[in-house]
Amino acid sequence: MKRLILAAAVVFVGAPFAVAQDAPTGAEPSRVVGAPRGKALDGDALAARTEDVAGLLRCPVCQGLSVADSPATMAVNMKGQVKELLAQGYDQEQILAYFENSYGEFVRLEPPLRGVNWLVWLGPVLALAAGGVIVAWTLRARRRAGSVEPEAPLPGPDTLPDDPKLARHVRRVRELAYGWPDGRPPGTSA
Amino acid sequence: MSQPVVGERKPRALNQRVLLLGFLVVAPLVAVLLLNLGRDPHVIDSPLVGRAAPEFTLQPLDGGEPVTLASLRGRPLVLNFWATWCVPCFQEHPLLVSAARALGDRARFIGVIYEDSEEQVQGFLARQGSAYPSLLDPGSRTAIAFGIFGVPETYFIDAEGRIAAKHVGPLDAASLEAKLRQAGLSP
Repeated sequence: MKRLILAAAVVFVGAPFAVAQDAPTGAEPSRVVGAPRGKALDGDALAARTEDVAGLLRCPVCQGLSVADSPATMAVNMKGQVKELLAQGYDQEQILAYFENSYGEFVRLEPPLRGVNWLVWLGPVLALAAGGVIVAWTLRARRRAGSVEPEAPLPGPDTLPDDPKLARHVRRVRELAYGWPDGRPPGTSA
Repeated sequence: MSQPVVGERKPRALNQRVLLLGFLVVAPLVAVLLLNLGRDPHVIDSPLVGRAAPEFTLQPLDGGEPVTLASLRGRPLVLNFWATWCVPCFQEHPLLVSAARALGDRARFIGVIYEDSEEQVQGFLARQGSAYPSLLDPGSRTAIAFGIFGVPETYFIDAEGRIAAKHVGPLDAASLEAKLRQAGLSP
């Protein structure tokens, strides 16, 4: 008997999906989240969706890892359950709600849009908008007060600083950058 | 000697409005940090407390009929998730065994084995003694349904199957008694 249970456990961990119906069950998902609302998946679609949904669940025994990314036994077991639920036709929201029922909102890696969580999603957008308003406001106030100095015209290519030492350097730079002999623009005399 | 190219800015008095705005931003952050300094972020309140315990049907370690939660109703239940590889479980084991013996029919004690092998658990119980059944939980289905983060974690379930309290970490005599009372243990 014990050997049988052990064998069942090994098979269960190795290929939980084939024997799921016969295996001892925890809480019935249908009691928690109702009848499956989605389409029962199999094959490649099932494998891909399992990764997606497991990626939205936080591994309870890890530090900030998703169930899809964690090698912990607990995460592997949870991922197995996700796959099983998808194969039975539960949709993503039902599966997340099923785990949330046991673990609380903690188990969701993305906080759902409700209650105080709206702040998490809308906060950055609101802060950005508020920042834009403040910048626009400040600019307008400055313009009105006339405190913005009119921009000085850019110096032309033939103007040089008054300081002779600085002027020498500017000419040298122009010579290097533009290839003007002695840093003088073509068409101007020394 | 080179002349400074950019003129130095005149120092301005502190802008009080900017200061106030900065304070309004920083103060709530500091408040949140201070309020949570003493809290262990790993202890998360179980959403199951106050609600009906998840049903389970699990095989006992030493064979025999599967045990269902429904069959355990009628008395306060101590449902202890544990493993032999967990040191705090080892520490609390004598307390659970002696409490189960002392309380007799007044309360039920059940262990649920978490991520462990049957041989290990049998060896452990043979060495350390046992006074109540331990159930096998393949694939941790029951542990997941109960929202277990690690072991030991203990649920206190009342006679009607409602979760009255949860304890995270090793139990001490005082918490065991207090939480059993919450689950309806008569004095």
